[in-house]
Amino acid sequence: MTTLWDTTGTAVVKALAAERRTGGAVTSGNALTLVVVVDERDVHEAEEAATLAASKHPMRMLMVIRRHIDAPVPRLDAEVLMGGRLGPGEAVVMRMHGRLALHAESVTLPLLAPDAPVVAWWHGAPPDRISYDPLGVFANRRITDVSRADDRVAALRQRAVDFAPGDTDLAWTRITGWRAALASAFDGWHEGAASAVVDGDDADPSAQLLAGWLSSRFGFYIPVNKTGGAPIDQVRITLADGAVISANEDYGRLILHREGQQDSVAPFPERSLGELLAEELRRLDADRVFAEALGAVSGLTGLNDRPGQRVHIWKDPALADSSPAAS
Amino acid sequence: MLPADFALLGFARRDWGDGDFAALAKKAAKEHARTQWNDDVWRRLNENLQFVPGSFDDDEAFDTLAETLNNLRNTHGIKGNAAFYLSIPPAMFPVVLKQMDRTGMASNARSGGWRRVVVEKPFGHDLKSARELNELVDSVFTANDVFRIDHYLGKETVQNLMALRFANQLFEPLWNSHFVDSVQITMAEDVGIGGRAAFYDATGAARDVLQNHLLQLLALTAMEEPVEFAAEEIRTEKIKVLRAVSLPSDLDACAVRGQYDQGWLAGERAKAYRDEDGISPDSKTETYAAVRLGVETRRWAGVPFYMRTGKRLPRRVTEIGVLFKRAPHLPFSRTDTQELGHNQLVIRVQPDEGVTLKFGSKVPGSSMEVRDVAMDFLYGEAFTESSPEAYERLILDVLIGDATLFPRNDEVEASWKVIDPLEEFWAGKAPYLYRAGEWGPKEADEMLARDGREWRRP
Repeated sequence: MTTLWDTTGTAVVKALAAERRTGGAVTSGNALTLVVVVDERDVHEAEEAATLAASKHPMRMLMVIRRHIDAPVPRLDAEVLMGGRLGPGEAVVMRMHGRLALHAESVTLPLLAPDAPVVAWWHGAPPDRISYDPLGVFANRRITDVSRADDRVAALRQRAVDFAPGDTDLAWTRITGWRAALASAFDGWHEGAASAVVDGDDADPSAQLLAGWLSSRFGFYIPVNKTGGAPIDQVRITLADGAVISANEDYGRLILHREGQQDSVAPFPERSLGELLAEELRRLDADRVFAEALGAVSGLTGLNDRPGQRVHIWKDPALADSSPAAS
Repeated sequence: MLPADFALLGFARRDWGDGDFAALAKKAAKEHARTQWNDDVWRRLNENLQFVPGSFDDDEAFDTLAETLNNLRNTHGIKGNAAFYLSIPPAMFPVVLKQMDRTGMASNARSGGWRRVVVEKPFGHDLKSARELNELVDSVFTANDVFRIDHYLGKETVQNLMALRFANQLFEPLWNSHFVDSVQITMAEDVGIGGRAAFYDATGAARDVLQNHLLQLLALTAMEEPVEFAAEEIRTEKIKVLRAVSLPSDLDACAVRGQYDQGWLAGERAKAYRDEDGISPDSKTETYAAVRLGVETRRWAGVPFYMRTGKRLPRRVTEIGVLFKRAPHLPFSRTDTQELGHNQLVIRVQPDEGVTLKFGSKVPGSSMEVRDVAMDFLYGEAFTESSPEAYERLILDVLIGDATLFPRNDEVEASWKVIDPLEEFWAGKAPYLYRAGEWGPKEADEMLARDGREWRRP
């Protein structure tokens, strides 16, 4: 481990190269570079999640912590780890102070593993537009988490407005289990669906995305019916012949009920942030199914046909705060 | 590796004695020696250091230099052998060479041994000036005694390119237009122009790097197998390739030059090129050049060679990427192979010297999904012996008279024939701006995008 105080990007590149040399051949393969954007107060949680993901995907992890953008003197502190606290791969934790925080890409660009895909993950609330954050512009895959936004409904809608192929959201990853269970319920059934409803919290982005996914699959609108319990209480699908398929969560189990059949019960443990992240990193191409579900939630079409590459839009938070026109 | 009879003689316009020169040499040696510092070795070397002060137009000083050189023959037993390393501004060449001619220092016959000269780039600034320079140097020394130094050729990885291609059975059958889609040669620097403002502003990236380093790398990548591993044979194959290099007819679409604007690089603010000390604010000199070249031979017809070089790019890296064609038929579904790129063979010239082979592999799991993986050879891991520095190797080659790694004058001239039309096309045009810390202007990305390709991220 190397710790560098008040350093430069060049020194970090050198330290990483030196660690690689002494680290030996074990660390030579990198399937991807993961850029983690995180707030100081959440570092521990993000590190834990990223470490778990790193144990499943050989990666170079670059953790970017932006601090005190209004600090008068820009400063970079960095910690270079190899096979240590942050998993078996290579990891660089960088704290950027002052205006440097707005130019974080200048430090991360030289550190990207050659020719490997770049994944950006915003641990906190997603940026309003990903093009505002140059770290997202350079990434091939971008992972956000709208459930961390203050207004989750607006944030989810904004993800659709701002969407580009390659974007995904952890609110979507959280419903993989639901999707798998519901898809398996249709195995061997040839009836189409006539109507469906998702019971849960209508402000929960995962519930919204589950309804959106069903809408995009069935071809008709499916609402989230507010029941006030868990984010997703139950999904009920009425088939064309009147039969009903329902799925509901019950204390860590998912119970699938089909008329005329025995209930099937499957364990349905809550997954940690790290497991969700690791799942997202499994696919590095664009998630077309997510785009369709997000389109159905927001009423926007053609999400999959948008260009995958963004162009950086310069946005200075210092100026935005002081000018009244910014509102 | 140096012979026992050895002396180092300095000549410069400085008011120095032998001691000052020795001190400078000691400081440099201490800072940069690859091996552990050994006082005994230094003391022996130190006895053989001498210095002659004088300016280049001072006849008397050169007479003293010639005399000192003659004396060394007796005191150090060097039998009249000497190599001159001319680290001087290009404009000074005629003056200095005339002085050497006048005093007979350059003559093999008069010295009774060999007299060689090492010339640094730039070898001229266009074909015409290169020819004049070549004629001048070759007339003072004999053509065989002129060593044009291109330190890239002294790098272990560059020499390994020949071993990789010609000592193995695995790669050469694929090394042609049937299998190769395109070749990308990159030399990126993160630094700016440093203290070389006047020289750089008059030169630009194309003349500074493309003309020599990049075209030499192209020649080694594309050349046929030499009849034997000997200086003349290798140079013969290289010159054949350099003469076969073609520029596209539509230069507008296939040649991009850029200049760095202000930006952030490696966490620090970087000035715009036009704001650098000694650079005019309306300079049109390029600090980045990217061009698509062709090699008109049976082996390479139709394969684009994309070359790029630039300053203030995100990191210092030089590499040759050979991108192979996609498999003619993929029996998998389209989504299964979405993450599969071109098979690639990448020769990392610096840093992390080595070779990477990229190919598709199945992702573990129940579904058939193919993704790129890499096989890596790293010099530092496969060999514990450390490589000599490029200059170290090349200067030793000069002393033993091995010209294998030095471009011949006709190679230099053939390279200028490639660069001259480019410079002519660019003359008077303003380069595209790119922010310091970015991988060059977006026009260079668009240049490849038009061909349905993209630059590797080195």
